Amino acid sequence: MEIDIKNLHPLEIKVLLNYKGDEITAEQIGSQLGFESQSNQIFSWLSGKELIKEKSRTLRTIYELTELGAEYKAKGTPAERILALVKEKGAMSLPEIAQALGLENKDVGTAFGQLSKEGILAMDAEKKASVKNGEPSASMKAVRALLEKGNQILDSDLSDDEKKAMATVSKKRGAAAAPFKVIEREDLVYEFTQAGLDAKKMLQDKGVTGDEIGVLTPEMLKKGDWKGKAFRSYNVNTPPARLIIGRHNPYTVFLDSIKDKLVSLGFEEYDGPLVEAEFWNCDALFMPQFHAARDIHDVYHVKTPTMAKEIEQPYLDRVAEVHKNGWTTGSRGWGYEFDRNFTKRLILRSQGTVLSAKQLHKANIPGKYFGIARCFRYDKVDATHLSDFYQTEGIVLGKDVNMKTLLGLLKMFAVEFAGATEVMYVPGYFPFTEPSVEIHVKHPVLGWIELGGAGIFRPEVTKPMNVDVPVLAWGIGIDRMALMSLGLNDLRELFSPDIENVRLRRSK
Amino acid sequence: MPKIEVSAKALYKYMGKKVTGQEFIDLIQCAKAELDEEDGDTLKIELNDTNRPDLWSTAGFGRLLKLYLGGKIPEYPFFSRKGDIKDNGGREVHVDPSIKDYRPYEVCFMVKGKEGISEEGLKDIIQTQEKLCWNYGRKRKSIAMGVFRSDMLKFPLKYYAADPDKTKFAPLGFEEKMTLRQILEKHPKGIEFGHIIKDFPAYPYITDCDGNTLSMPPVINSNESGAVEVGDKNLVVEITGTDMPSLVLSASIVACDLYDSGFEVLPVKVVYPYDTPFGRELTIPYYFQEPVTVDVAYVNKLLGEKFTADEAAEYCQKMGSRTKVEGDIITVYPPEYRNDFLHSVDAIEDIMIGRNLKNFVPEMPSDFTKGKISDESQFGRQVKNIMVGLGYQEMTYCYLGSAKDFIQKMNITPEKVVQIANPMSENFEFVRPSVLPCLLNSESISSNAVYPHNIFEIGKIALINPEENYGVSTINALGFLSADKDTTFNTLNSQITALFYYIGAEYTLREAEDPRFITGRCAKVISGGKEVGIMGEINPVVLENWGIQVPCAACELNLDIILADKQK
Repeated sequence: MEIDIKNLHPLEIKVLLNYKGDEITAEQIGSQLGFESQSNQIFSWLSGKELIKEKSRTLRTIYELTELGAEYKAKGTPAERILALVKEKGAMSLPEIAQALGLENKDVGTAFGQLSKEGILAMDAEKKASVKNGEPSASMKAVRALLEKGNQILDSDLSDDEKKAMATVSKKRGAAAAPFKVIEREDLVYEFTQAGLDAKKMLQDKGVTGDEIGVLTPEMLKKGDWKGKAFRSYNVNTPPARLIIGRHNPYTVFLDSIKDKLVSLGFEEYDGPLVEAEFWNCDALFMPQFHAARDIHDVYHVKTPTMAKEIEQPYLDRVAEVHKNGWTTGSRGWGYEFDRNFTKRLILRSQGTVLSAKQLHKANIPGKYFGIARCFRYDKVDATHLSDFYQTEGIVLGKDVNMKTLLGLLKMFAVEFAGATEVMYVPGYFPFTEPSVEIHVKHPVLGWIELGGAGIFRPEVTKPMNVDVPVLAWGIGIDRMALMSLGLNDLRELFSPDIENVRLRRSK
Repeated sequence: MPKIEVSAKALYKYMGKKVTGQEFIDLIQCAKAELDEEDGDTLKIELNDTNRPDLWSTAGFGRLLKLYLGGKIPEYPFFSRKGDIKDNGGREVHVDPSIKDYRPYEVCFMVKGKEGISEEGLKDIIQTQEKLCWNYGRKRKSIAMGVFRSDMLKFPLKYYAADPDKTKFAPLGFEEKMTLRQILEKHPKGIEFGHIIKDFPAYPYITDCDGNTLSMPPVINSNESGAVEVGDKNLVVEITGTDMPSLVLSASIVACDLYDSGFEVLPVKVVYPYDTPFGRELTIPYYFQEPVTVDVAYVNKLLGEKFTADEAAEYCQKMGSRTKVEGDIITVYPPEYRNDFLHSVDAIEDIMIGRNLKNFVPEMPSDFTKGKISDESQFGRQVKNIMVGLGYQEMTYCYLGSAKDFIQKMNITPEKVVQIANPMSENFEFVRPSVLPCLLNSESISSNAVYPHNIFEIGKIALINPEENYGVSTINALGFLSADKDTTFNTLNSQITALFYYIGAEYTLREAEDPRFITGRCAKVISGGKEVGIMGEINPVVLENWGIQVPCAACELNLDIILADKQK
């Protein structure tokens, strides 16, 4: 067995160093090393490490003099005292004896019974105890001899007669009522194993004494007690206790890393409210009010209040005209009468593009903006759908941006966000961009996935917001990458309320 | 997004070529289409462009693929145009003034086949009808289409508003006659679509000149002329609705499809007693689309290319449009079956697809712009780092939840909580008014996790606030909760002190009453003279509601007010 002497406790070290191979007992290390109370613990450690093994085990019976026994030894047993009293004072009744000796009546009765049986005293006609033979019996002498023998008497030291006498005056329990208490003790004798001998040799070779400093205290540092002493070596492989630490959530760490990447690419972050008017969520994005995607079952409507108080001007008038006849955008519009009440309806933001729509009229040119927006969808919640989730979207405004620069931007996203090895662009459809494209990327683990959609905002979207330059708009789906980065496969896990679950989760 | 099922065999016939595998997948990108599934001869195709209803049939989808592969632009000689009205052969539909206020428009045409309609053809026309009416016609609200056996009908047809209780006919699938109102109540289609006309005093109704019923649009056809079967040679297609251009376009799409599949198209004149966007007399099919013009400079600006006008026009033709080039100006004439050119950018997208995206070389934008994280995010990060330093685990939660979790268990009243009018499930019916219920929910399911539990989230909450334009405030909030056997008010107070010290703001506590907290162990957090939050020991009533058996103390702060104060 491989022994690491760093695992040894100082007490174990002392025992190993102080004994030879033949025999070790608790008594020895108790009396010689002063480890009486720890002896069992030390043996259990050492045998656990297989450094010692049991050699023999003997049962010993010991008779211990009790307090009563000590009193008998000093003052005499009740029988001895009664005999002496009657001899000195003449015949006495038993109660008189009890009173004179300060004993209980029943004890006097018992002792007299023994004396009378052995013919030493007798009861006369007046019911008084009187001397008969007058000499102590053999059994009385034997008890006296036992009392004089010492505080602890080994059963093995007694003759058969002595053992018989001892049986009359000793008890296993309730020892107070008898002069001797019977104690049964198992004596274990250990010897070193070969490993124990090896360990001892190692300790000797390395000069370990067991007196090395265990805990370095401020006291020692103050006084300099540590000087010239060695430190006990620790086992560096002992498993440490678990710590519960403060931590960022790996999902937000992931989202923050996306934000940081976008910022490093020159994008400025925007944000907005969870509750929006249909105007910004849809109308400003040139989605006609009769569009199927605006049916009741596609967005969440707010119960109260149901309507925004007002929609910002001049944007409302312009957008209404754009829908009706295109306004001055060069479009023919959707050709319907715009409903100015419908546009005020309040909903839970359903797409991050709202933020882009609202940013346009205050945007710089050139400018780049992005947002990671919590959006809400009328969807059944399962492993791939959530009723609320994050969308990552952005816009690029500039005199010279075009479809080719959009593709360039998307390619950079593909590499930065998905570690893509290949990129493919295909025509796409979004109500607010024209031309529109989708970007598919070859992810090193997931294979071909759709990373997102993009396009150039329609003039019907940008002109009402005072923007006359092309605006690239993009949205990327990062949820699958988030799941992969966290080693998860269920979108609901991203928003897990389970504390232990979140604590154990690692980010890549 | 519409999904259609097509027979590969039929599709290849329309395409004039068999294309399979990856080549097919790449090819159909020109239609913004994806192959969802392939099952023997059946292809399931998803079409992403909701403004291209002409692609939602085998014939229409095949037509574009054929063009893209180099096919010639097809001729449809049966279309009437302004100043060129085709002979309607005496076939007319008379629209009655009674229908004007309910479902004012109707269009109609007839087809004649040398051979009867095949099973596949019938299936395809039913699919076209469904997709058009469902995805383009708002589930029959604005477009409803019926196909009839022409041989059983005598022109002119009559479209009017009929008495729902006195008018009777046998609807498709039923032998016995029912009143219009009974059909709405009993027929499966009546139950499904009846809501569109139910509240009108009279219902839309079409008969032939002898009073034989065609249909009660947009609900159901008659069981006689409406029961089209395989082998029928002569068919009438009629469409009713509320938006004239989409009706005329729908008729054009179906007419082109049937023409491509071998039918002869016979025009029908619809006569109105009132004005329509195309006049009082309209011969269907009718080409009403307006051309769009686009300057090649604009094409090149948006696409980042250097096309000549002729090149751009050529790419545009590949998508089915005829073009005329005059100098730098390209005039694009939309094909008969399309009306999705609202702006010249729509033509530019066709040019892009016609050129094929694979031929565009990505370039990096060259403008320099300064990136910046929002002030709210920046402040949020600062606060987060302090909370982590205080030993807290950050959580992320859903913002939607139930009345039970957000209101009842929290022991609060609902006035300020934003409710969804049309929830999908009661589990996601409210927007959270506070981070605290989310934190307590975590606590309630995490008694197995080693204590202490110190958790927090920085996220948005929403509260009804009549002062806001939207009537609701969205707030960036910090919520944190500590749960352990010896957690108290003081535990949190020490942490709040540390937090405020490091964000560089002052705060005081003012004793407060709040049903979520234990009275006498709850305080409002005041900073910059404003109330910015609440903290205290969670009321055992609330803990019991959540089934939590460990004492909790929690705090919620409005980070927006603290940040605004810091920025002053």
